[in-house]
Amino acid sequence: MGEHETTGIFESMVEKLPGNYDIYFWNFVILMFFTLFEVAAVFFEKIPGTDIHISLYAVWAILIGVGVIKGYGIAAYFMHLKGDPRIYTRTALFPVLFVLLMLWGIGLSNPGSIAGLPDWCTPDWENFSTQR
Amino acid sequence: MSGGEAHVESSVWMRAVLIGGVFLTIGILAFGAMGVGVANVKHVAYEEAILDYEDAKADYYKAKATYDLAKLDYTNASNAYDEGVTNGVSETDLAVLYEAKNTNQQAYEEAKGNYTTNEAAKEEAHHHEVEAHLSYLTWRTAGITILLMCITYAAFIGLGGFLNSIYPDEASHDDHGYGGDDHEHHGSGSPIVFSLGILLFLMGFPSFQGSLGDMLSGVEANLGDLGLSMLGLTVVTAGIANWWREDLPFIGNHEQIATSDPFAGQHIRKAGIWVFIMSEVMVFATFFSAYLRMRTEWCTGWQVANENPNCLVETSPGVFEYQINMLTASDFLRPNGGMLDGLGGQGDFMTLLPGAINTFALIISSYTIVLALKTAKDKNWVAPTGFMGKLLPTQKIAVRNYLIATFVLGSMFIVLKLVEWSHLVAEGFTIGTQAGSIFYISTGAHGVHVFVGLLIMLYLVFKADTVGYDERNGQGIEYFGLYWHFVDLAWVVIFPAFYLY
Repeated sequence: MGEHETTGIFESMVEKLPGNYDIYFWNFVILMFFTLFEVAAVFFEKIPGTDIHISLYAVWAILIGVGVIKGYGIAAYFMHLKGDPRIYTRTALFPVLFVLLMLWGIGLSNPGSIAGLPDWCTPDWENFSTQR
Repeated sequence: MSGGEAHVESSVWMRAVLIGGVFLTIGILAFGAMGVGVANVKHVAYEEAILDYEDAKADYYKAKATYDLAKLDYTNASNAYDEGVTNGVSETDLAVLYEAKNTNQQAYEEAKGNYTTNEAAKEEAHHHEVEAHLSYLTWRTAGITILLMCITYAAFIGLGGFLNSIYPDEASHDDHGYGGDDHEHHGSGSPIVFSLGILLFLMGFPSFQGSLGDMLSGVEANLGDLGLSMLGLTVVTAGIANWWREDLPFIGNHEQIATSDPFAGQHIRKAGIWVFIMSEVMVFATFFSAYLRMRTEWCTGWQVANENPNCLVETSPGVFEYQINMLTASDFLRPNGGMLDGLGGQGDFMTLLPGAINTFALIISSYTIVLALKTAKDKNWVAPTGFMGKLLPTQKIAVRNYLIATFVLGSMFIVLKLVEWSHLVAEGFTIGTQAGSIFYISTGAHGVHVFVGLLIMLYLVFKADTVGYDERNGQGIEYFGLYWHFVDLAWVVIFPAFYLY
């Protein structure tokens, strides 16, 4: 959110758009549109005006896709990682390893819910745990 | 006064106390109008709906008893006629039996119709009762929430103003202890004091929470258990007050610049806020990974609809059915949600609405704070014409009003969030389940972040109204904006994961 450099494709497109609106405005419009899209994907069972059924996997893909787009819009433009010195992007990437470990390594690793976590973290947990 | 600071009059602090009073008035009025006035009307409607439901239930049970009896009579008459045919009774007797069968069949059909009508009426009355209850909860919760928020806002801004007013003008604006020359830095010891306060508060939190729980449930509590956390809160207050006193006169000169890698040449405060945000990312990642781990184990409505083989249960020998074993918040909120033990599955557009409005509110608030910064930094700012010109007549007022818009949207987020929670709890989605626990902890942690952000924003509004923001000190809005955008970013993940999926 500092002084903005107009460098990317998106910024070039914005400059050609009619009206005196800046990149923050168009980013806001895109975020609003995709939020509406995401809520509609869950709300409607069929694509409005058609008989095409929206499968749950399609909804799932939409939620993830829209989340990525919105996350990028907020981080790149509102938080101004695009245009700020690279050190801030590197700082923002710093916890990626931790987040991946948490989400992939723990969140999606073993469908044993929370009860299975001690045994997963420490194999043969039952023999190590304190017996009360 | 040194070159790096604005002159802050004592009357400014009186304004803080006055604003605190305004907040209290707003809170009391909102509570009176919404939490008492409208809520009481809604409560009367709710009580009437309860009575209607009780009447409908009584009619239903009466109709059911009549139906059961008529069904029995009809079955008996039918059996008697069949036996008569089988045993070859006389035609006269058979005619009597046939007539009895027909009469009982008519009575049975009539009772069945009556039973079906009453069953539908009971369901409708139940639906009205639930709607009336939720409507009452909406107004009551909104009123109480606005009151509590306004009390907190009033305490924050009033106390901040009062504590700072004890400094005479010359001391309050002068140098904030950094020497008074042009080489001073906008550094502060307040974050360390604030952190120490948080540390003490959290160390005493288990006892604090236990004592508060005892007090709220009427059990005699050991007040000594509150001590450590109260001390922590006092230190936090002192830290905030001192930070406020130091930052308010700051007009942008002598921002501390990092002199070594990796942030050489960058504002230290900006690097600090980014590192802080990344630590917050890790906090939310732990919530999310716990949620994912549990979610992969549960058989939710979503899994059953997708015919996940893990959700197949042998209901009788050789017969397998997909069964739900856990309800998530989305089962209560989105259309076609899963049902378990009569709970969930009632979601529609209205139940999804508060979460959707909150999502839009956060995005709009992200944009308004960007506009506040853009306006503050704009050296060639020109007042708009027309209606917007009345809202944004000068650059200083424009910055303040954009911040107020952000503040109002954030406050609305908290009110809608608690209204939504009250609905979910009333419908049976409590913190006592695994799904409830992770939902309330994750969304609650996010809500706390929003609320803390609102308190900081209140200070920004106050500074925008008094000292003002321009291209020299606008980075104050920028650094807070980074935090606020992060809160928005966290919601981008939480909303689909907990409300839609």
